[in-house]
Amino acid sequence: MIDKFVQWEKNRHQYAKDWKARTGGKVMGYFCTYVPEEILYAADILPVRILGSHEPHDVTEAHIFGMYCPFSRDCLAQGLKGRYDYLDGIMIAQSCLHIRQAYTSWTKHIPVDFEYYLPMPNNVQSPHATPYLTEEITQFRKALEKWIGRELTDENIQNGIDIMNENRALMHELYTYKKNDNPPVSGADTMEIAISQQMVDKREHTQALKELLAELSGGKSYSKNSGTRLMVLGSENDDIAFIKMVESVNGTVVADDHCIGTRYFWNNVKPNENLVESIATRYIERPACPSKDWIDRTRIPHILSMAKEFDVKGAIVIQQKFCDPHELDIPAITKALQANDIKTLFLEFDVTVPIGQFKIRVEAFLEMLQEDDLF
Amino acid sequence: MSIPTYKTETLKCWNKAKEIRNDFYTNYASAHEKGGLRWAGGAWSFGAIPAGLGNDIFPITGEPYGASIAFNKEFSLRCLEATEKKGYARDLCSYMRSYWGSIILDEYAFGGKFPKPDFMWQDHICCSHSKWYQVASELEGGIPTYSIDVAVGPYNSVSDSKIEYLVNQMHDGIEWLKKTTGREYNDDLLIEAVNNECRATALWAEICLLNMTVPTPIDEKSMYSLYVLGTLEKHSKVVADFYEELLDEVKYRVANGIGAIAHERCRLMSDTQPPWGFLSVFRYLEKFGAVSVGSLYTFGLIGVWEDKPDGTWGPRTTPKELGIDITTRDQALKILADWNLSKPEWQHFYSPHLKSDMMIKIAKQWKIDGVLLHYNRGCEGLSLGIAENRLALIEAGYPVMAFEGNMGDEREFDEAKTMGRIDSFMETLGMTII
Amino acid sequence: MINVGIDVGAKNIKIVIVNGQEIIAKGKVLSGFETKETVMALYDQLLGEANVTKDQINLITSTGSGRKAVDFAQKSVTEVTAAAKGATTLYPNVHCVIDVGAEEGRSIRVDSNGKIVDFALNEKCAAGAGAFIESMARALEVSIEDFGMLSLQSDREIPMNAQCAVFAESEVVSLLHSKTDKKDIAKAVNDAVASRITSMTRKVGFENDIELIGGMAKNTGFINALKKGLDSEIIVPENAEYVTAFGAAIYND
Repeated sequence: MIDKFVQWEKNRHQYAKDWKARTGGKVMGYFCTYVPEEILYAADILPVRILGSHEPHDVTEAHIFGMYCPFSRDCLAQGLKGRYDYLDGIMIAQSCLHIRQAYTSWTKHIPVDFEYYLPMPNNVQSPHATPYLTEEITQFRKALEKWIGRELTDENIQNGIDIMNENRALMHELYTYKKNDNPPVSGADTMEIAISQQMVDKREHTQALKELLAELSGGKSYSKNSGTRLMVLGSENDDIAFIKMVESVNGTVVADDHCIGTRYFWNNVKPNENLVESIATRYIERPACPSKDWIDRTRIPHILSMAKEFDVKGAIVIQQKFCDPHELDIPAITKALQANDIKTLFLEFDVTVPIGQFKIRVEAFLEMLQEDDLF
Repeated sequence: MSIPTYKTETLKCWNKAKEIRNDFYTNYASAHEKGGLRWAGGAWSFGAIPAGLGNDIFPITGEPYGASIAFNKEFSLRCLEATEKKGYARDLCSYMRSYWGSIILDEYAFGGKFPKPDFMWQDHICCSHSKWYQVASELEGGIPTYSIDVAVGPYNSVSDSKIEYLVNQMHDGIEWLKKTTGREYNDDLLIEAVNNECRATALWAEICLLNMTVPTPIDEKSMYSLYVLGTLEKHSKVVADFYEELLDEVKYRVANGIGAIAHERCRLMSDTQPPWGFLSVFRYLEKFGAVSVGSLYTFGLIGVWEDKPDGTWGPRTTPKELGIDITTRDQALKILADWNLSKPEWQHFYSPHLKSDMMIKIAKQWKIDGVLLHYNRGCEGLSLGIAENRLALIEAGYPVMAFEGNMGDEREFDEAKTMGRIDSFMETLGMTII
Repeated sequence: MINVGIDVGAKNIKIVIVNGQEIIAKGKVLSGFETKETVMALYDQLLGEANVTKDQINLITSTGSGRKAVDFAQKSVTEVTAAAKGATTLYPNVHCVIDVGAEEGRSIRVDSNGKIVDFALNEKCAAGAGAFIESMARALEVSIEDFGMLSLQSDREIPMNAQCAVFAESEVVSLLHSKTDKKDIAKAVNDAVASRITSMTRKVGFENDIELIGGMAKNTGFINALKKGLDSEIIVPENAEYVTAFGAAIYND
């Protein structure tokens, strides 16, 4: 069953093209997981997250100054290389400045039929953020209605919520298996599932998840790995090769705090009579991106409770080079983890990572954790 | 190429500007002696709001304070290193790192220990702004902090709901200020501060407008020392009054053909904060007869502008000039929110293309021959989209020289290489040293 | 009219003596510490080779990052202008000049009249220049000359992550430990440097013809990677590393 997710992830562009041919629907490329996909599903549009390809490239220097994160440049490179030539629309929900540049360069140099900048509020700790976002999502809904030429009914919106909620709930269920002593799904495979979740039609993804969960409840395991239990957290991370390397040296990634992974699906929409408001509430209350985690640091208690829940022995703290929001959180998070007896390994990611050099550091880190186990 | 010669004269109000700046830092440090309060926040924060707490409320604004540290290379390096030792990344905002370093070392750039603020009052313009004071509060052992989110999109899409989001946070902020300081809140003082802010920032735009003149009456290097007052306390009467005086003097210079440099024959504009420790770059340009007459940064960070009916750019008409008499707190806050959202240097946070349009407009209106773009590693906010600006300016026919540096971390600026690049750029413009 | 161009680069000093546009003598020497003395010695030697006396010299123009050390030059011009002048004089259809030396890479866009439209230089980093290749060749224990040829024998694509010469060296060592073939590593290094240069070239924008000058023009593996990166043919003039000195010599023509 895992293979299906892997195939989706590896052939993401072909999948979207086939989906389009099959359904005749529109495809929306999106930056950042604060985009309320519920509204897109309500409009029968396939949301596809724009991600990089982890290949060196030479096409973005003219567009984005090199001090911005490699992920944002890798994303733009995909557009400039024509890999997303099937998109009908492109949108972003506001988070960090870095990824915003990939979006703004995209709108100018790779024009599409529809573009939308959703000013997702940053002060998610203010009581005024939800009403404001409710209005912004309402405006977005109107823009979308104009584009597709039909009104979106509350029934449509409810349908969008149901599709997203079901899929997110099943991901939670998958993660409960990762609490087992011998998690039946590896960290690398989990990442394949999590990446494909952001680009495959949620209904198909849900179906595949149900089948996988049925297998797991029957006792099937896809992983022989029962190494040291690790958590990965930090900047955007879809580097499967890295996670595979970690698990090849007897680490097991059981939990994460990444926007590909738990931050994406952790909470659900609790529908009330104002459906748009209930969607807005969900995005305001979701585990925060560091660019929105102020003035209180809500990420720290969330990460600590996750570490406890998943019985984590050590954490690999990942930072995309130049990622300011995470650079502003990492010292405080590292301190909190260490104060709770969870050792950390910090690694700086680029478009490609030097597997050989990182392997030495990961092995040394695991040795350190294993020594702790002996005493 | 013939070499023109113009009269030059030092600015008469130069010393007064210096005095105001010194008073600002002294008043902040000594606020407690007079029973007053100190607050810390960004140059962009809504300083007019804490002004309602009384006439003895003194701020310190983080960015100009960071720039002050950068001027002192020895102290700057110690601050940066102190922050790095605490585990903060070297590529973060250099003002912020300098500011934190000053707290960590407990040294004030103007002598003595770092004066601990009573509260922090910030707004969130870039990814770092609220986090800056989140960390500052942690380093100080916990200081009450409030920050307002302003990220509602560019001014061309402003709506009631967007203004309301800001204004609601401001109303909550006033309640928070009352609770935090235990003081009553005076709406008249707020209204006065809002009027002062509109006056000061429109006046600064009017001053910048006079730089359209050939020869330019003030050069950008001098403007840095003048606009900085607006970054310190844009809502204060002292600053607004000073800009009135400065405007008169600049008008006098224009009327008498007094130039900023003696041999102006090439008009440049720059972008983003300069590497503060190396303003010698501007002196070097003068040798070629080249002068930077401004930038979106010096014009539009403090200056508030609007499109005039003839399509040109001019100072935004103040509420007073429009005959609006501010009478209530809510009205004052709405005007304050709207005024600040229209700030030119704010628009590019949503799209570099909006900024390119403004830069090209400046280039045309101020008769610019070439552009120096500082790819500033010290500021992710103002360097945002700069590569797209470069492309747009070139497409519009303006020669551009890009150079990398850092406004507040001299380790990232290569002076010799930059001067070498200026030589090449001047050659392409047909300029030689006079 | 006999003129002289002296290019004081980061690693080598190149001197060209021209009669009109014809090179009558050329030579290079390591820059060393005593720049002026070194220049003088080479200059005297070349005068002898060209069989001309100092009195016959019309104009001496210096260029390069160390040009100010040549205080006996009557004129001086930056390496950007000199490179463009030299390259477009040799090949008038050239619209893009790529100059990669020991410590700096440059891309220069010129119009049909040879006038510079835009230029970009690599920043404070050696990863886009020859010194980087030298340090990688050292790590691989092969000569610089063999390095280019070696990389031509590989068709593997190994992404080099590090942009810092020091970290890249440790990445190379780590590839060696994982038994990656030297030829594949050599290609990875050439690809990485070429990628930085093509990235910069795309920044200034380019159109054909493209000409590569500077010391790196001797590295065939690098040229190949550059061609692939820009998807274009690249003109490599004979005496590519003397083109900037040549440009300085003829600058005032």
